[in-house]
Amino acid sequence: MSDPQQPRLTPIDEWEDEAEAMLDDVEYDTDLGVQMARDAIRVSNGEMTDAEFHERYHEAVLDEFGEDERPTKPEGFEDD
Amino acid sequence: MTKHGLVIDQERCIGCQACAVSCKQENNVPMGQFWNRVLTEGGEKMDTPSGGYPEDGGSGSLDMQYQPTACQHCENAPCVKVCPVNATYTRDDGIVEIDYDKCIGCRYCMAACPYNARVFNWDEPEHMPEGGTGDVEARPQGVVEKCTFCSHRVDEGLDPACVVNCPADARIFGDLDDESSTVSKYIDTYETDQLLEDRGTDPNTYYISGEMSPGRPQTSDKMESELEDVSPWSDGDDVPSEEADSTGAESSGGSHSLSGGEIPYATSAKSGGDD
Repeated sequence: MSDPQQPRLTPIDEWEDEAEAMLDDVEYDTDLGVQMARDAIRVSNGEMTDAEFHERYHEAVLDEFGEDERPTKPEGFEDD
Repeated sequence: MTKHGLVIDQERCIGCQACAVSCKQENNVPMGQFWNRVLTEGGEKMDTPSGGYPEDGGSGSLDMQYQPTACQHCENAPCVKVCPVNATYTRDDGIVEIDYDKCIGCRYCMAACPYNARVFNWDEPEHMPEGGTGDVEARPQGVVEKCTFCSHRVDEGLDPACVVNCPADARIFGDLDDESSTVSKYIDTYETDQLLEDRGTDPNTYYISGEMSPGRPQTSDKMESELEDVSPWSDGDDVPSEEADSTGAESSGGSHSLSGGEIPYATSAKSGGDD
């Protein structure tokens, strides 16, 4: 549950701990979620392309969720 | 194309929480959850300033500003990129929404959101009154939810509930792709920031600080979006003149329409929270 009293936005150096705590008791892979979250920000920053992001996590997302419907799929990308 | 965006004038915001409360009411947000929070820029805790009290006849350095924060409806939304089932998606009009039927509650989107704008229904949501409030169906247990810019209202041509219920007229909603819209004019005219710009998310929510804007135009007893022509600069002039600024233009009686180059009255003020 989010804390409505939180007085500020989380600085980036503290964010990863929060992300891990957020996913700690989720029934899906916590490490995958944190890594994807980190790299999704890198995509937003322009440090990584949508296609690179999609390809990097495609197999892991398929393994974890049985599907990969992320909108980052590059044209011509073939699902396994 | 239309790209919906929000401007929040921090110089006008008085931290009254009306936006947070009206959001909860309108969107049937469960007990214990908030889609819209009013954070404090300044001290470490809510409603506390940074700096110190005056000493030895000095002026002191107390400083505080309110920063209402909800989903920023980012152009490069990381939450959208990580959703494995495409439950979080961006509409053609720029609003980031969640398909609650698709959401599997993995919470990857929550981890990816730099603004802590999303909440998760751990338990069966509770509402007060039990039947819920507002015009939006309750979301089930096990899904993530967040601000939608009141898309159900926007689809009807209305402004979001937080916008129409802000008593300080600090929230202005409109089409960022329309150069003549009030939001676009304000972004062009006033100093604006987006939150956490270094993340590259390019939010469609902008914050005015420094110089106070005229705020949300109050030109009629109708909603802004119900009017065809409500911009304070609707006569085609660019920004209000100094003369217009100093005189203001208060509407009178039952008719709230403005004519010519009149602008909504707003007291000029420097940065808020200095006192």
